[in-house]
Amino acid sequence: MTAPTRARRRRRTGAGRMIRNRLLVAVPVLFATSAGMFALGAASPIDPAQQYAGAAAFTTSEENLAQIRANWGIDDPLPVQYLRWLGNLLRGDLGWSTSRHEPVADVLAARAGWTLLLVGAALVVVLLASLLLGTLAAYRRGGWFDRALRTTAYAIQSVPSFWLGLAAIALFALSLGWLPAGGLTDITATSTDVADVARHLILPVGVLAVSQLPWFVLFIRDSVADSLRDDHVLAARARGLPGRTVLFGHALRTGLLPFLTLIGTHLPELVGGAVLVETVFSLPGLGAVTVQAALGSDFPLLAATTLATTVVVLAANLGTDLAYAAADPRVRLE
Amino acid sequence: MTAAVLTRVRRLPRLRPGRLGATVAGTVLAVAVLACLLAPVLWPLDQSAIDLSQTRLAPSAAHPAGTDDLGRDVLLRSIYGLRVSLLVGVFAALVAAVIGGAVGALAGTLGGWVDRILMRLVDTIAAMPHLLLGIFIVAMLRPSLGAVVLSVGLTHWLSTARIVRSELLSLRHRPFIDAAVSGGAGRMRVLTRHLLPHVLPRLALATTLMIPHAVWHETALSFLGLGLPPHLASLGNMINDGRGSLLAGAWWASLTPGLVLIVVTLALAALTAHWRDHLDPRVRAELQL
Amino acid sequence: MSRTTGVRLAAGTALLLALVACSSPTNPSGAPADAPLIVATAGEPDTLNPVLNYGVDGAALIFDGLVSRDERNHLVPALARELPTVSDDGKSITARLRDGVLFHDGTPLTARDVVFTYQAVLDEKVDSTLRSDLDMLASVTAPDDTTVVFTLRYAYAPFLQRLTLGIVPAAAFDGQDVNKAAFNRQPIGTGPYRVTSWTPGDRLVLAANDRYWGGRPTNSGVVVAFVPDDNVRAQRTRAGEFDAAELPPKLASGFDTQAGYRVHKTPTADYRGVMLPMGNPVTGDVAVRRALNVAVDRAAMVNGVLGGAGEPAYGPVPPSSEFAEPAVAGAPTADPAAATALLDAAGWRPGPDGIRVKNGTRAAFSLMYPAADSLRKELALAVTADAKKIGIAVTPEGLTWDAITPRMGSDALIMGYGTPYDPDFVSYKLFHSDFAGQGFFNPGSYASEVTDRALRDGRAEADPARRKAAYATFQRQLATDVPWVFLTYLEHTYVVRDSVNGVVPRVEPHEHDVANSIWWNINTWTRRS
Repeated sequence: MTAPTRARRRRRTGAGRMIRNRLLVAVPVLFATSAGMFALGAASPIDPAQQYAGAAAFTTSEENLAQIRANWGIDDPLPVQYLRWLGNLLRGDLGWSTSRHEPVADVLAARAGWTLLLVGAALVVVLLASLLLGTLAAYRRGGWFDRALRTTAYAIQSVPSFWLGLAAIALFALSLGWLPAGGLTDITATSTDVADVARHLILPVGVLAVSQLPWFVLFIRDSVADSLRDDHVLAARARGLPGRTVLFGHALRTGLLPFLTLIGTHLPELVGGAVLVETVFSLPGLGAVTVQAALGSDFPLLAATTLATTVVVLAANLGTDLAYAAADPRVRLE
Repeated sequence: MTAAVLTRVRRLPRLRPGRLGATVAGTVLAVAVLACLLAPVLWPLDQSAIDLSQTRLAPSAAHPAGTDDLGRDVLLRSIYGLRVSLLVGVFAALVAAVIGGAVGALAGTLGGWVDRILMRLVDTIAAMPHLLLGIFIVAMLRPSLGAVVLSVGLTHWLSTARIVRSELLSLRHRPFIDAAVSGGAGRMRVLTRHLLPHVLPRLALATTLMIPHAVWHETALSFLGLGLPPHLASLGNMINDGRGSLLAGAWWASLTPGLVLIVVTLALAALTAHWRDHLDPRVRAELQL
Repeated sequence: MSRTTGVRLAAGTALLLALVACSSPTNPSGAPADAPLIVATAGEPDTLNPVLNYGVDGAALIFDGLVSRDERNHLVPALARELPTVSDDGKSITARLRDGVLFHDGTPLTARDVVFTYQAVLDEKVDSTLRSDLDMLASVTAPDDTTVVFTLRYAYAPFLQRLTLGIVPAAAFDGQDVNKAAFNRQPIGTGPYRVTSWTPGDRLVLAANDRYWGGRPTNSGVVVAFVPDDNVRAQRTRAGEFDAAELPPKLASGFDTQAGYRVHKTPTADYRGVMLPMGNPVTGDVAVRRALNVAVDRAAMVNGVLGGAGEPAYGPVPPSSEFAEPAVAGAPTADPAAATALLDAAGWRPGPDGIRVKNGTRAAFSLMYPAADSLRKELALAVTADAKKIGIAVTPEGLTWDAITPRMGSDALIMGYGTPYDPDFVSYKLFHSDFAGQGFFNPGSYASEVTDRALRDGRAEADPARRKAAYATFQRQLATDVPWVFLTYLEHTYVVRDSVNGVVPRVEPHEHDVANSIWWNINTWTRRS
């Protein structure tokens, strides 16, 4: 057996152990998150019954509200509520959303897909654009492209994302008339047609991507610029390798390391951005209902969305860590 | 006269590029900070005062940036808004930098089980959208200046912690650290003399980038009705209020606070970039090549 | 970073903003005449079940009540053959059902469905906030398939006004929990439209009910778009997406000059006012309350804050109501001289800082407003400015509702509500001393024997003239005691495409979204192609 194959096999078993360890860690993390959500919700001074009544709270008597709270069982002690929720969860029942007036599973089923689509598409755009732009800027560090890119990035970063959204609507929907101003499908459409949805998602995905781009671009640029001065990159340059090979093969690969951790940490950030983008473009995603749930102390919905995001993010973190290890042989898999 | 100005303008770029940007940025920041400090003395503002006979006046000598929906001077409120927003931004970024820097440094230098536990903690908190956590914190503490600072600070230290840690991790195996350790340097000494100077620029960059982000967060909270009480002047509140005026033709009500925000953010960013270039000897070496 | 980049950036931003400001619509109505009508609103219902508070005041599009209201808000029979009859003691109401009414699924309407609907509201296991409005209802029975008898605990004159509640088919709930029934999202009613689909957060698609008892709708259907953000709704209206959209006055005014659109300002019973708690040492003094009442500049609020879409308010009964007492109306503009005279006479003397003082108490109080409501914020600031002119220091505080509710007994609050249908609604619980300090009912603990008696007479008396007299007394007593400083009645503003025919605005209540908006009679609207 040759040495490289043995090394590769060791890495593979290392990866297996890493995944197993992570799964072991994930379970308590998920418990902690859902319990934390319940505790936070219980500490919150908001009365979900009043939230449920909405404007009718003005004409609803205290007894009426108390009866509704009793029906929901939300005056029970927190551990009782949590255990009840957990028991139902194990039976596959995610509970009843008090702020949406429907089963939590239905809320997720109807909305999670759109948010995932929005966030996923934006993430792909962000990754491709930031790798390309960041590397190019780093290559000609201090050049006009680098300076223009950095200026734009800082400027975009300082503009609230809903502002970007409104400006994009004003430009592309109102003035130019190229793209629809909001909604998921044409307002008169009778079915959900793929091309129609895609056309409606161009602006929201674009705005979300652009609003999240600065962090990614600046970090890629800095990392690649730093690694361009690394010994092994300088050595590659000295060996006379072509500039493109050095840039994308050596410098980018080294510069990718801190970037990989960044993707995982930025997923929730993207979801946060999606909340505002969904509002601006009136998209029926998860963002708006999650805010509503937070404002209305809707434990079951909050716990479910938090759990869902946590699972996605933990999976993403595992993926980036594995990629990290693959990209940097100095990192040992434990 | 014109020719002279032109020559001078043409000569400017020949200065060291970093220097000019930093000078402009420094001047902008100095003016902004000075205005913020002096405003309460020179131009006192009653935050709850309105004048319904002076609504939506276009910019003029009396109101250099016009008036808003309720007849309030947009420029003066922008200055007060900048005061509040900078306060929120700086304090929130500091809170985040302290927590994030400490956690990242602990994890990155001690390693082992400390690292693992801390990073799992970071993972757990990082898995929830910041905005949502922020909403929770503000909802529980009730909207106020302190609540917004805490809401932003407590949700934004995670990336800083990760950056500091990963930077430390990648430095750990660099030859010069090995050299320092084999030279007999203690853990503290390696950290403060060798690791910190390398990590600081990135920490500083992360902190600076966090200031506009903190302001953004404040705006988003205002957008949801959970920011500072909406009649107080903050850039976030003003941009939000101005959105309605925009469609009604009073563009100045939203443009002025927006421009103040962008210009100050750019100046801050330029200054940090300059500071970093200054810190890192290898960059200077590259510039001279 | 150079100065030129900054300048370029500023120029770019300015350009972008200018585009926002002066952009014009790109696609004027090209919709064929038989396409569904598209309306946009901010308020999305949480459920489409009338039992759980959807469209309880009628005009619910999908449902009908036993009675409905015409364009003057007068009751007309709907599912009832004629207006229900009231027994002499006022405690028994009998309704006879219209023949041949079918639900959307083809099953016939019977008295059993009516009984089920009202019993569901009364059922404590059902999470209905409507129960508070029907606390006079003891039981509801069906002696035969076409007769329904309501038995009341006490004589309640405006009971027929409560019969606009949409009737649901009992069979659809067989063996189901009303709170969680699939019906709440996919409802079946008797109304002019049936539900094709509802995508929460996006739209509700309704199709014309060809078998509607009141005649087939004159259009093929209605799409209700839910766009909660005002500015976004305005932009999408401008992009030509909607036939009718509800917009705040300041945003609607941009369409005044826009070809192809009309702006409708509909009068309402939707008032805004300052609740002044009796438990506060400053607002508890009737002289301070009276002074504030004449010191506020209602005309400036209507013009400056509401963009002209409103009228001054002096009491909880709107001027459009037959019960309105004209004597309570004051001057729309501020009268600081009269206000200061009132304060001087009561012993509130200006202190060194210009704020008045009486027996060591500074004339200062907090005025709370819900932080998310920009209209109430602006009214709070307007009141603050007016109060300052007469030496009263008001501190506006923008808070969330959960922070406001525990403080309502001691701090002033900008409140708003109102329905045009009967003066008993809302006002009874808001001003009767029995409800003092009970949540949003009379939070300021106002108590007056005259008011209590007038309110009780108003609901017990069947004779319209005597009711009118009772409510005149009530309004005059409120004007004397000033537990609230009423500020303005709003006008709800809508932007409607010119090519739409049949729009008949009527006086609207506080709540107006899918049900009870300008499109209350949309089943008779047509579109010119």
